[in-house]
Amino acid sequence: MAKRGARGTLAAGLLMAAVLVAAALAGPVVAPYDPTVSAAPQLAEPMPPAAPFYLGTDDLGRDVLSRLLHGARISLLVGVVAMAVTVTIGTGVGLTAGYFGGAVDVLLMRCTDVMLAFPGLLLAVALVAVLRPSVWTIFVVIGLVSWTGVARVIRSEVLSLRERDFVLAARALGAGHARVLVRHVLPNTAPTIAVIAALSTSGTILLDTGLSFLGLGVPPPTPTWGRMIQEATTYYRVAPWLMLFPGLAVLFAVLTFNLIAYGLTRGGRAPAT
Amino acid sequence: MAGGCSREAGLSRETSVRYLVGRLAWALLILLGTSAITFAIVFLVPGDPARVVAGPRADAETIATVRRELGLDRPVAVQYGWYLRRLVRGDLGRSYTTRQPVTELLRRRLPATATLACAGLAVAIVVGVGGALVTAALAGGWIDRVAFLGSLALLSTPVFWLGMLALYYVAFRWRLLPLGGAGGIRHLVLPALVLGLGTGAYYARLLHTNLVAVLGLDYIRAARARGVGTVRLVAVHALRNASLPLITVVGLDLAALMNGVVLTETVFHWPGLGRLAFDAVLGLDVPVIMGTVLLSATLVVLTNVAVDLIYRLVDPRIRLR
Amino acid sequence: MRRRRVRQRAPAAFASIPRTAASNSGPGGRLGARLIVLALALATTIPACFRGDRLEWPPRPRGEWRGGVLRLAAREDVPTLDPALGYDTRSWFFEQHLFETLVTYDDENALVPALAERWEVASDLRRYRFHLVPGVVFSDGSPLTAADIVGSLERVLDPRTRSQGAEYYRGIRGARDFIAGRTAQVAGLAAPDATTLTVELDAPDPLFLHKLALMFAAVVPATLARALGDDFASRPVGSGPFVLREWRRGERIVLARNPRYRRPGLPYLDGVVELVSVNDELAWLMFESGELDVAGIPPADFPAVKRDPGRAGQLLHATTLTTAYIGLNCEMPPLDDRRVRQAFNYAVSKTDLIALLAGRAVPARGIVPPNLPAYRSDVDGYPHDPARARALLAEAGRGDGFATELWTQGSDLDLKLAQKVQQDLARVGVTLAIKQVAWSAFLEAIRQPRTVPVFDLGWSADFPDPSNFLDVLFHSRQRDANNHTFYASAELDRLLDRARGLADRAERYRLYAEAERVLVEDAPVIFLYHPITYVIRHPRVHGYRIHALLPARLTEVWVDPDT
Repeated sequence: MAKRGARGTLAAGLLMAAVLVAAALAGPVVAPYDPTVSAAPQLAEPMPPAAPFYLGTDDLGRDVLSRLLHGARISLLVGVVAMAVTVTIGTGVGLTAGYFGGAVDVLLMRCTDVMLAFPGLLLAVALVAVLRPSVWTIFVVIGLVSWTGVARVIRSEVLSLRERDFVLAARALGAGHARVLVRHVLPNTAPTIAVIAALSTSGTILLDTGLSFLGLGVPPPTPTWGRMIQEATTYYRVAPWLMLFPGLAVLFAVLTFNLIAYGLTRGGRAPAT
Repeated sequence: MAGGCSREAGLSRETSVRYLVGRLAWALLILLGTSAITFAIVFLVPGDPARVVAGPRADAETIATVRRELGLDRPVAVQYGWYLRRLVRGDLGRSYTTRQPVTELLRRRLPATATLACAGLAVAIVVGVGGALVTAALAGGWIDRVAFLGSLALLSTPVFWLGMLALYYVAFRWRLLPLGGAGGIRHLVLPALVLGLGTGAYYARLLHTNLVAVLGLDYIRAARARGVGTVRLVAVHALRNASLPLITVVGLDLAALMNGVVLTETVFHWPGLGRLAFDAVLGLDVPVIMGTVLLSATLVVLTNVAVDLIYRLVDPRIRLR
Repeated sequence: MRRRRVRQRAPAAFASIPRTAASNSGPGGRLGARLIVLALALATTIPACFRGDRLEWPPRPRGEWRGGVLRLAAREDVPTLDPALGYDTRSWFFEQHLFETLVTYDDENALVPALAERWEVASDLRRYRFHLVPGVVFSDGSPLTAADIVGSLERVLDPRTRSQGAEYYRGIRGARDFIAGRTAQVAGLAAPDATTLTVELDAPDPLFLHKLALMFAAVVPATLARALGDDFASRPVGSGPFVLREWRRGERIVLARNPRYRRPGLPYLDGVVELVSVNDELAWLMFESGELDVAGIPPADFPAVKRDPGRAGQLLHATTLTTAYIGLNCEMPPLDDRRVRQAFNYAVSKTDLIALLAGRAVPARGIVPPNLPAYRSDVDGYPHDPARARALLAEAGRGDGFATELWTQGSDLDLKLAQKVQQDLARVGVTLAIKQVAWSAFLEAIRQPRTVPVFDLGWSADFPDPSNFLDVLFHSRQRDANNHTFYASAELDRLLDRARGLADRAERYRLYAEAERVLVEDAPVIFLYHPITYVIRHPRVHGYRIHALLPARLTEVWVDPDT
């Protein structure tokens, strides 16, 4: 039963991901209005959802639907690229620590402990505030703040893999460390990395949304979902739809990757370490 | 068994002390590392701190004097040494905006954040344990699927959005609870609920998985064969075993909780450390930002040590790395 | 970040647990440990929940009576109560109730006596003699003498105080020597007797009296202030109508009537309570439910409130002596070309911006606000004309458009307006990127030449005189101070220099009007609007008026709980 449920979860997740990608790719083309231009007849009074503004307008008279669709692209982009940074750093550290062991392991793990002590969002907030927000800063900062968990998991994976026969055999045959790592160890951690990548993406999207909400995300007028929620805080009493739709969008995106991750784990694809 | 216990107890006291010392030394090392990183970040700040402290209308001479006072003309290593020395004395500098000592600011805001964090944690534990118990007892069938989806959805919701929804419906439309700010227990309910629900959903999932695993074990089946009722079975026997990971997770999750706290405090205008950090970020009040970050990191490290100790006291046979 | 990090540990956690957990039957200790955690959590939670003790006020006597307690709320805490340090409206609001100055403004922005009951000014505008109201005491009972005024001004000039108001009094004879540490006192300040103060300036200054109306010149007990040092900011002692009763930072600040105040019968109020850290929406809802007496109106609610005829009597508004503008760096191409700057002015629709502000502003035609006393400006300003803008850009050789950057401090309102300006400029081919910078970094950056091309700023009058706008912001000598556009016009400088020392007000204003014409022609900034402050008061509040220049004064306000 668990396996079937897991497969259903994975399928649902992948379907949702397809919708997201479609929105990201086609969204800006399909969007009825320019997300940065005031299209509504009235400024300073948001309009509720009604044709031709199907999800309403914000206080600057911009169409919410168009902004949402454009936001899909940037939110997804940030999520995926930041995840790539996270997974790269984390896998690198984890592989090195787990494979070489000894002093290298101790040193790297102590560094990880130090990074783990900082609450991620606070550290990200401090860094972004200091380094001035731009898309590139966001990628790097989110990656810097999130790699520790990945490193730990990869490390424990590698620790067990290290003693396996095929690795020992490769070493006995005279393969160098790099070769063993790349050709033998890394491919075997691939399933775990897949799960981690999915989980990471959901996390980076949430973290980026949080940063945007605090005003530290991608600069305006680029419509990111987090910033849309933040802009909606002043008007939530008279125009609740302004915060409702971007929030649902974030929920959708994060749920997608969570479903994929859980689907991969429960489906027995992840190694039973 | 009695003799074995007392011998074990004697052994455990010695190893406990040694362990405690070891843990504290490790914690100190970590704290040193966090202070180094915090100090390094300050260097990344654009602009001249001497000018900021002196004010926008100061002339070159005043700025030079301030620079000398703050020790900004010394080499980095010396500055770090000064920084550490001040840290040990509890001096975190003065806020750029209000000129108040940062330690004062932090001390005044800490209780509010501690209250919110603990309340959120309490909610999370209740939701986690309760949710896990209910879903484990009713394992299989549609409730399980619904609960799974529901908890996953809760996990995927940005906490501040949940907070805004709660504010809008519960506080504004239905007028059940106040609209934010601090005051009494009524003001604490919404922020704590919002903070704890997401984490609670995660705990519920974690506990549920372990509960189900434990429920399939032999001694449980033996107990059931003996005629022990389901409720008692789940609540007393299975829960005890499955709760071990919960303590680990609860203890180590303080850093994660702090993240939720920052966002929740912003939405509900709760006057705690999270709000303080956020306002400091807006004004680039570097001493306050760094003070908050350092304080959070310290709290996380100390809580980890404390939880490890409780763990150890609870079961000396478990070796922790 | 929260969820992601925990879940990434999950696979490993899942893996290791069942084995260890199942292998022991487990002592009740683990359950106990969990309960310990929970108990600790609750123990810390409960005590901190009970806050907000009630304040006691004297009971209301029978019959004709004016008094009561005024309840307010604000988003931020007060930065400081030390008049030498405060340089923002929040600090000034409280400082003017705790302290007094020699002179102050009436409702028409004219100078009237305060602590000085009369004064004489020499015809060369360099020597002043003030006669203080006799018998004034500070709230702690110590007498207020001219020596205290000397001490207060010296304290502001003292570099150790780091007061940002020092520059206003540098013109006093001997001030520069004092600042440099060459003398222990300022030669130009003297107190021949307890109620007489003489001041001598280096050069004639028609604005010196205005400078004495600033809160920087508030009178503090000099010896006490020096003794308390930094702590004076939290334990102020002054001669104002109120005293500080309680200041719980981050929570509330409470003022109580000063029984020793020199004007008999005033203030009417028993006290003022202001809750801090209350955001605008919350304050509005508290006002609606009667928990506050006076409040601002959040932008989301403003249109409805403005349209409501029943509330018309409760709304108070005043056009502030403030100009919001977007500065253009006159040294960075292509903004060094006047036609480009004029094009920017034609491109931006001020009426749209004011619509975004829900009508809470007046379009700016020049830099000087229209309600400055006796000042007449007849500049026409720039109407919204994108076609003209495009033509000017083409004339300047920029018909294909160009890209530049707007630096802004990044508050919600600033960003909203910036995005609208961005749209307007895009329509004429100019791509404007928005760069959000923290306030201190922003101030730092705009002082550097050739760094910031376009920036979003405003200026509030320190005193009601056109020079406070024209001279301070646009004289070429001010490029190190407040002339962030680095605008330099020989003609403007000439007009301003001529006007500076003139005693004849009419002539001065004529020269300033001419100067403004030159300025608007050269367009070193995009002239945006002058904000209108709106405030709503509960019908039980009487005597509350808002002022265009100063924060509201509560001396003659009273609250009638029966209304």
